[in-house]
Amino acid sequence: MPKTYEQPFDAANIPGPKMAMLLEKGKPVSMAVKKAKHPLLIVGPDITPAMIERVKKFAEKGVTIVATGNAISKLAQAGINAKYAVLHELTQFLLDPNWKGFDGKGNYDVVLMLGTIYYHGSQMLAAIKNFAPHVRAIAIDRYYHPNAAMSFGNLWRKEEDYLALLDEIVADL
Amino acid sequence: MVLEFRKGAMFVDELRNVTIKIGEITEEEEEWAPMGPTPFPQIETLRDWDFTLLKRYKPFYAPYCDMCCLCTMGKCDLTENKRGACGISLEAQTGRIVDIAVAIGTACHTGHARHMLHDIEHTTRKKLEEIPVDLGPEISEVAPLTQLITGIKPKTLADLERALNYVEEQITQVMDAVHTGQEGSYLDFESKAFHLGMMDALGKEIADIAQICAFNLPKGESNQPLIEVGMGTLDRNKAIVIVIGHHAPPAFNIADYIEQNKLGDEVELAGICCTAHDTSRYWPKAKIAGSLGRQLKVVRAGIADVIVIDEQCIRADILYHAGKMGIPVLCTNAKAMHGLPDMTKRDPKEVIKYLLDGNPGAVVLDPLKVGEIAVEVARARRKKREDIKPVLTEEQFMNYAKSCTQCGTCTIACPEKIRIGEAMEAAEKGNRKELEEKWDVCIACGRCEQVCPKKIPIIDMYNYAAWNRMLNEKGKVRRGRGPVRDSEIRNVGAPIVLGTIPGVIAIVGCSNYPNGTRDAYTIMNEFASRNFIVVTTGCMAMDAGLYKDEEGKTVYEKYPDDFNGGCVANLGSCVSNAHIHGAAIKVARIFAMRNIRANFEEIADYILNRVGACGVAWGAYSQKAASIATGVNRLGVPVVVGPHGSKYRRAFLGRPYNDEDWMVYDVRSGQKVRVEPAPQDLLVAAETVEEAIPLIAKLCFRPNDTDKGRAIKLTHYIDLSLKYLGRMPDDWHLYVRTESDLPLAKREELLKELEEKHGWKIDWSRKKILEGPIRPYHAGFNPTVVERLFKQGFSSLAKK
Repeated sequence: MPKTYEQPFDAANIPGPKMAMLLEKGKPVSMAVKKAKHPLLIVGPDITPAMIERVKKFAEKGVTIVATGNAISKLAQAGINAKYAVLHELTQFLLDPNWKGFDGKGNYDVVLMLGTIYYHGSQMLAAIKNFAPHVRAIAIDRYYHPNAAMSFGNLWRKEEDYLALLDEIVADL
Repeated sequence: MVLEFRKGAMFVDELRNVTIKIGEITEEEEEWAPMGPTPFPQIETLRDWDFTLLKRYKPFYAPYCDMCCLCTMGKCDLTENKRGACGISLEAQTGRIVDIAVAIGTACHTGHARHMLHDIEHTTRKKLEEIPVDLGPEISEVAPLTQLITGIKPKTLADLERALNYVEEQITQVMDAVHTGQEGSYLDFESKAFHLGMMDALGKEIADIAQICAFNLPKGESNQPLIEVGMGTLDRNKAIVIVIGHHAPPAFNIADYIEQNKLGDEVELAGICCTAHDTSRYWPKAKIAGSLGRQLKVVRAGIADVIVIDEQCIRADILYHAGKMGIPVLCTNAKAMHGLPDMTKRDPKEVIKYLLDGNPGAVVLDPLKVGEIAVEVARARRKKREDIKPVLTEEQFMNYAKSCTQCGTCTIACPEKIRIGEAMEAAEKGNRKELEEKWDVCIACGRCEQVCPKKIPIIDMYNYAAWNRMLNEKGKVRRGRGPVRDSEIRNVGAPIVLGTIPGVIAIVGCSNYPNGTRDAYTIMNEFASRNFIVVTTGCMAMDAGLYKDEEGKTVYEKYPDDFNGGCVANLGSCVSNAHIHGAAIKVARIFAMRNIRANFEEIADYILNRVGACGVAWGAYSQKAASIATGVNRLGVPVVVGPHGSKYRRAFLGRPYNDEDWMVYDVRSGQKVRVEPAPQDLLVAAETVEEAIPLIAKLCFRPNDTDKGRAIKLTHYIDLSLKYLGRMPDDWHLYVRTESDLPLAKREELLKELEEKHGWKIDWSRKKILEGPIRPYHAGFNPTVVERLFKQGFSSLAKK
């Protein structure tokens, strides 16, 4: 039995031999974003006001933000200029190397994800992991996402620790 | 040996000691319409149609498991493009698992249909050929799916059995194909899933038409009586019989027993899941205790004096939970016997005594014995019990709340990720509101209880906190009316195809919602209030009836139950979903005069391009839901599921930016035309209800919409996006072909946005679009995606 911290947030969500590298620092994420040619941050509806504040900082650093579900209303209220997509449709586009992206500059090579409905987001990460070799997906959510390439652990009851990790990423961008 | 006799005289002379036995007599099929190209299609028959769909709606795979564990050469790791020991890829393996899931669902509905025919012969003492398929004077197209797929227009239930034999064979053939070392292409796995989905639809139609005709259930009449729904509607002063499942003949016998023995004042009959719908279709005094998500809550509340199960969607641990409450369980179907002794051949009085002696349950497979046993057990148990009260005392509740250590293990086990610990903490401090609210979000799977290190009975905690809510949960649902009448299709066929009725929304399926039951009401009310045709079945139909508007009316009291704009028609149980397919097929037959006989591809092409229908299965959980969705998808109807739906592993998602995916033939002009992405997806999961509602409206666009229809559809799409997401949709302009497609009230504003944001050229003096749309609008546009139909023409039955 893994420690609660690195256990999938759905206890039985063990996809197989390839599971996300556990991240305990923000640095590997900021490095990945800085190296990326075309990064994207997907923000789902399971977000707190404090998380929205951090999303705003990602936007200020020039990362394209796409909101899914009704997160778009929450981000708009916070003054964040985000794109909108249905996560399922967006993931289908991400699987297509020929997709031109939201800005016409091509598909995204690094995708960060937070706030998606956990189990649904996990399925989208499974699709990316297995069928989008051109995309590296990193879960920067409050939960351990085994289907991402890298993921934070379960921090849903340690919000301060979690927000500190987000701050660490943003500070380094 | 077959001796074929032809017309003429036959004389048999001088034969002695010869016996002639005649087995089946096959009558020549009445020529009710010219036979179409694909009677009784096999796996490969409609493959071209499937591949046409799969090119546009590329299967999207989100594996639940990256391995294959089906044979002894495995387990095989299929990640990073590795193939299994048998050579299968992860894409194909995922398609294969989808096939298996869809086959399970299809077998369920088909097995239900077979069982129905057996029970009909047994309980009515009639042969199938003696029972006519008669759905009343307003329904001539009695079995649209049977007619479309097999070419049979059934006259009796025996004709339906011929179709059923075919379905059973097809399920076997597809299951053969998923064995190791057979199919290897994900596209062919998907084509087989479509084939199974179509079989599922046929199986459902057979089951429902059979029970309608044999047991005189409603035959599509509107203005059905209102059925009480909710745990609070059960009269606890009476003996309470709870039936769970989908196959209602045993429950019919319970109703008969209550009526025949005049026990209505003493005994309450209520159901959970679809058997509740079907029981109320037979006997409107029956109540609906709740949907699937209420099953464990009802059992653990101790409301039932006896539980009667038939088939499908019954908890596998029903005996454990019922046993905790001391409630005996009567199993009435061989598919779910739960290890109990088979007492079918015993005298009912002996079984009653056995159950009252404290035994956990018994199997009785003869529906004609179930009524007496269930009712008498319930009556005897009622006499011994007091009023029903919460399982926990106040002291126990508080002690358990205090014992919670907030470890979070329950949340990690919870499918809905409910913060149970936080609710416990609040309860400990005297605030039970959170537990009460989460009682509705909880689908009562019971996983939390199993992992709690403090052994807190969490379901009982929920039930305690929400006890008053439970007792006051009192709603109304229209009785399931069954099929859509031909006369209704005559009224609405044109507005649907022209787009002036903005869509047909089929709200169906299970109750694994992401955020509680209210979403069912919200979706239904929103679309009915906008003049969409809303049809509904199953658990969503029940859950929507739990809520009321400001005037205290449920959606069923607020809107008529016709198949018409601004109406909400409950058609019935899962198997009644077949009438939704049927309505779409009948639009092609009755409005467009297309020949539906054994002509699946043409009719599906018609529906895909012209009938703005969208299925919604917001809480889909089962394999049956997978087969239902796959079946309507093959017929050209898109489906929106809730976020749990992505666990089905496969979706059908279009790529609107890919020109070649959206080419259709225009029969009028003889040209191939790039059309707007309408509908953009065939199967898609939305994350929240706020996202789902505009998405559902969007999936009602069809290439054939008239400009007037398109303007109405655009109005709703834009309005709903503004209402629920607070913004204009990004892609609304894709659906504009001409200025008259724009809603009149917003035309100028939208033209301005097209010019400024999308760079379209506008002639402002005439307020005309000069340049920009994907294609121009022409009223005579006549689309098809099937090259054969483009070259050979459509099969019309219109008199020339």
